[in-house]
Amino acid sequence: MASALEQFVNTVRTSSSHGNFRELCEYLNKTSDVLVKNAQHLDNVLETLDIQQHSLGILAVLCAKFSGQSQSNAPDNHFTMTQDFVLNCNGEQIRFAPDTFAELCHSLTTYLIEQRQPLKGVVLLQKAISKLRLFDTQLTSIHADLCQLCLLAKCFKPALELLDNDITGICHEVTHNPNGSQFDSKYFLLYYYYGGMIYLAVRNLDRALYFFEVAITTPSHAVSHIMLEGFKKYILVSLLLHGKIQVIPKYASQVVTRFIKPLSQPYYELANAFTSNNTAELNTVLNKHNEVFTRDHNIGLVKQVSSVLYKKNIQRLTKTFLTLSLSDVASRVGLASPAEAECHILQMIEKQQIFATINQKDGMVVFRDEPDKYGGPDVLKGLEDQLAMCMELDKQILMMDEEIQVNPQYVKKSSGLQEEDQPSKSTYAM
Amino acid sequence: MMIATDLNKLAEDLEKQELEAPNAEPPPQVYEQLLAIYLYQNDLCNAKYLWKRIPPNIKSSNPELGHIWAVGQAMWNRDFSAIYRALNAVTWSESIAEIMKLVQDVIRTRAVDLISQAYSSITLDTVSAMTGLSPDICIPACTERGWKFEPDTKMVHPVRQNIEHIGQTSSEDQLYKLTDFVSFLEN
Repeated sequence: MASALEQFVNTVRTSSSHGNFRELCEYLNKTSDVLVKNAQHLDNVLETLDIQQHSLGILAVLCAKFSGQSQSNAPDNHFTMTQDFVLNCNGEQIRFAPDTFAELCHSLTTYLIEQRQPLKGVVLLQKAISKLRLFDTQLTSIHADLCQLCLLAKCFKPALELLDNDITGICHEVTHNPNGSQFDSKYFLLYYYYGGMIYLAVRNLDRALYFFEVAITTPSHAVSHIMLEGFKKYILVSLLLHGKIQVIPKYASQVVTRFIKPLSQPYYELANAFTSNNTAELNTVLNKHNEVFTRDHNIGLVKQVSSVLYKKNIQRLTKTFLTLSLSDVASRVGLASPAEAECHILQMIEKQQIFATINQKDGMVVFRDEPDKYGGPDVLKGLEDQLAMCMELDKQILMMDEEIQVNPQYVKKSSGLQEEDQPSKSTYAM
Repeated sequence: MMIATDLNKLAEDLEKQELEAPNAEPPPQVYEQLLAIYLYQNDLCNAKYLWKRIPPNIKSSNPELGHIWAVGQAMWNRDFSAIYRALNAVTWSESIAEIMKLVQDVIRTRAVDLISQAYSSITLDTVSAMTGLSPDICIPACTERGWKFEPDTKMVHPVRQNIEHIGQTSSEDQLYKLTDFVSFLEN
């Protein structure tokens, strides 16, 4: 037994000193069983390795430690060891085994969740992400872990730092795959699902809707639970934000319309009741499917939807009336008292959702026209920002286009077509 | 006197302290100050989640945290009189007294702005509730702003002000951006 570990240490040392990291990775992938079997000696192995020079070896040992986790509840040093490793390991070596490094972070995440100390890992995973990714807008599977920890810790600012950057590239993590490098779609979906939830928590509905949209438009052939839950939230957020279900983009895969829609029936009923502007009807649907909404953990959002209906109805009144008494507002919208109506109107005025003036002397409210707000420096600034975004997007697309044009596979295919004057029929019969 | 930028910086610093504290347990003052600053910034979402993530044992050994959050809850419910009640119910400890004072100031400013935006006439009692000032103080304060007060009906007639945001950009900067856009659109 001990000799197997000795051999392990020796291989790690010689390969590392010769810089044969690729072969070392292959070797390590094969020997992970040996390490797990000898769990009790792993701490000794760690002592013989240097964190900078033998990063890959230590990575393999740490992963084995996590997977062979002892059942006893004795305090262990997993966290401190991982922390030490992530902070001090050699980034260049790590990038030879991105999948193992990500796996270590996933294990740490699970471990911290079991220990109920999610906040402890936030800073560490931030560090880990910056070690693994090559540029700021590259997605790694650790992103999803960080979002999960932030959600559990109810501390969102660290995750928002990541989420606010739009992703433009994906880290090729699974390198030893015969079909070329890959990225586990689970972590992609989780990132956008958790991200959407975080934006919901801080009431950034625009971004939340966008994140859920990315989740539900991910190409797929089978129903993913993450997509299904994302779809339900997409419906609710789009009701909150736009008052109706946004059209699902055409590039969403067939599974969405074929399977996910029928599975979200209660949400469609809710949306129908909402668009009918009838509070009573909405409440009926709410009561009918209360259990489903609670089980899906969406009851809070559903309640927000129902309170938004009052506001929407008040907004509709402004289109018909110039003046109205507060008690009329209350009865038309379905609120209990004029005071409650005043409270809602006051809130909406503060948020500039309506333009109105309340007259407490007569108990009346006067709806005004929207002030002319299409002049002035604010608008100009908005335009400037939008244009800057468009320009950035254009730049990105050009870059991606260039990347495809120099892709060997693409070149081979397109030049192959040119050589044969008459392309064979099979080219078209895709 | 602390100003907004200082507080923003302090908040960032406190957030960092919370994350980097050994065993994720920073001293209670960190929580207190951060919670108070979130209220000052009117960032109720972050305040709520901060309150939720503070460990229960720290909450029970530092009752002041609960007092701060009572203000936050009242703010969440937009109940102005409850906000002032909560703000003045206790004497704040030294580390947060100044911030809580600022919280009261911004809330009052916001209430006054809202009154001027939303009401053409309003009872003196409502003004007093929304500003947390007694009616005797309210009357001169209102007339000072040019709001008319009718003693017999106890009604105040606020004057709407147009809030204008003036963004400051140098003309040179504008010109630079414009050239950028044009060269983009031409290509």
